[in-house]
Amino acid sequence: MASRAWWVLLVAMGPLVGFAFISAVRTYAEASGLNGTAIGVGEAFSPLVGIWAPTFSACELAAVFLLPFVAIRVIAGDRQSGALKLELQHAMHPAARIAAKGIILLAGWIIASAPALVAVVLWHSYGGSIYAPELMTVATGHLINAGLTIAIAAAAASMTEHPSTAAILTLSVTVGTWFLNFIAAVQGGTWERLASYTPTTMVSDFQHGLIRLDVVIAALTLIALGLVLASMWLQLGVPIRRRIANSIAATAVAVLVISGGSTSARSWDMSESRLNSFSRADERALRSIPGPISMEVHLAPEDPRRVDLDRRVIGRLRRVRPDLNVRYQSATSIGLFEQTSAGYGEIWYDIQGRKATSRAVTAEAVLETIYLLAGASPEPDTDPVFRGHPLMTRPAKAAAVLYLLWPALIVSVAIAIRG
Amino acid sequence: MTTAEIASAPASAEWIRVDGLTKRYRDVTALAGVAFSIHPREILGLIGPNGAGKTTLFECMAGVLPQDAGTVFLEGQPLTTRTRTETLFYLPDAIAPWPAQTVGWALDFSVGFFGGRVDLRREITDGLALTALMRTPIGALSKGQRKRALLAIGLLTSQPMLLADEPFEGLDLRQTREVAAVLRAHAHAGRTLFLSIHQIGDAARICDRFVLLSAGRVCGEGTLDELSALARARGTSASTLEEVFLALT
Repeated sequence: MASRAWWVLLVAMGPLVGFAFISAVRTYAEASGLNGTAIGVGEAFSPLVGIWAPTFSACELAAVFLLPFVAIRVIAGDRQSGALKLELQHAMHPAARIAAKGIILLAGWIIASAPALVAVVLWHSYGGSIYAPELMTVATGHLINAGLTIAIAAAAASMTEHPSTAAILTLSVTVGTWFLNFIAAVQGGTWERLASYTPTTMVSDFQHGLIRLDVVIAALTLIALGLVLASMWLQLGVPIRRRIANSIAATAVAVLVISGGSTSARSWDMSESRLNSFSRADERALRSIPGPISMEVHLAPEDPRRVDLDRRVIGRLRRVRPDLNVRYQSATSIGLFEQTSAGYGEIWYDIQGRKATSRAVTAEAVLETIYLLAGASPEPDTDPVFRGHPLMTRPAKAAAVLYLLWPALIVSVAIAIRG
Repeated sequence: MTTAEIASAPASAEWIRVDGLTKRYRDVTALAGVAFSIHPREILGLIGPNGAGKTTLFECMAGVLPQDAGTVFLEGQPLTTRTRTETLFYLPDAIAPWPAQTVGWALDFSVGFFGGRVDLRREITDGLALTALMRTPIGALSKGQRKRALLAIGLLTSQPMLLADEPFEGLDLRQTREVAAVLRAHAHAGRTLFLSIHQIGDAARICDRFVLLSAGRVCGEGTLDELSALARARGTSASTLEEVFLALT
């Protein structure tokens, strides 16, 4: 485990997290000074979005580009050195061996994530607000993401003869998920549904303080599948045809579990600002509307209005109304040349045969249209207003600790241990 | 059968029987119906030129390579995964396991992980002249040093049979004689050794019986006298192992 690749990961995490944290604190401070605490902009001053999401993004970067090499080194190293042929002669079941390695790798990742914890301590020392549930949600998302990376890398390392092939395969899977996200953004529909299970989208949900049960089930199933495949392909004494058949069976089981899990609409908004939720009064009113709500959105995938609509309205609406049916219509991906087309920018609503059209993409306007069609009227909003936690501060000592002290500490420990 | 039980078994009794072992790599047949037997406490030499299929045979027996056909029997019963793990330990050639770890760590790990014999540690490290190398990383060892470290790992394991692929590869003459003495002492203590050797002179020096393998086929099996008789029966006069090998393969 304590390979050079892991030490490099440890050293790199300090500056990576440091850069992200320092930039985030500076931006947060600038925004705090400019806008004060006016109601309505509180979300901008949520440490979840302003500090934790960008800071932990460094972990996502490391999980994509550094962690696979550590995992591949641990799994493929034994194969390369010949140690695997010795280890396979132990009665220990291959699945137990891979599970043990997976746990060690995850522990290694947690140690490597220590700079993020340092950032939390520094933020606290500046007087910054910490809302534990949302911080834990972000950290959990990145831990699951690391688990996914480890599982994919382990499977790739055990299926291929050489570590470099395993690295290419692992990165190909990652790039493939990015491609899937891109197609989903352009095509929507089933692609969009599939893309909601890619690591990037999953991490994004967690970074917004949202825990979706279907995503967690899919991620844990994929982690289990990766490790099971790894254990199957490390059984060198089993004929390849049988390994292929077993792999297909395991993949089929995983697909069934993920399909079953995808029907679950359960989710939890762990953000302090209820970033992913409407007010409780609106949620009650929306739940009371009978029949499905259908929307046809005539906006291109990369149109900023659609991005706003998806994040601020449709995402929230889906949490309350899992039966929400949204169809996207556009001729191009960016919508630049569709602006003059008739109907572009319109959102068509249909609730129990009653129809309406609007061009507004704000949450207030969309809800108003829905209430009008459904004849619903929400109770007065009694939720306390989230005013945010503005903080004008400098990222004091962060550069010294994360750029210098952390790498120096790791190098010293590495020299002391490795001799 | 434990090492202690093997120690009391008649040396001429068949303990393990390999029957019809076949392995193909696409169009190449590496092993073609290989069959022979192994007796308890003997040092059996697997003799054959490079490419004869020696390593493939060992790996199939050890279960780290799938065979296409054939069975390995232990006391008349087909070897299962469990009995295989309990009965034999295979030591591959040309590997450098756990290269970043020291020799001492590797020996301790082997004893702990494989349930090896800690009581033999000192004797084996002394016999293989490894004492001075205990703090050296395996990846930094020379070829001969690494071979001795690997042999120590194999000899520390507790399975009653050790399959060692080319145990003298990379050793000089003096080291070869020292290692041969350690192996023979080990066999006397009740362990069965199955050694793959391509240097016929080395094999003749240490082995009790021989299996001659050529192009994936067994060309002869037995003691030097038995193989000489076989060669004579085929109309060739052969008295040394080299002559016998050339006559039968």
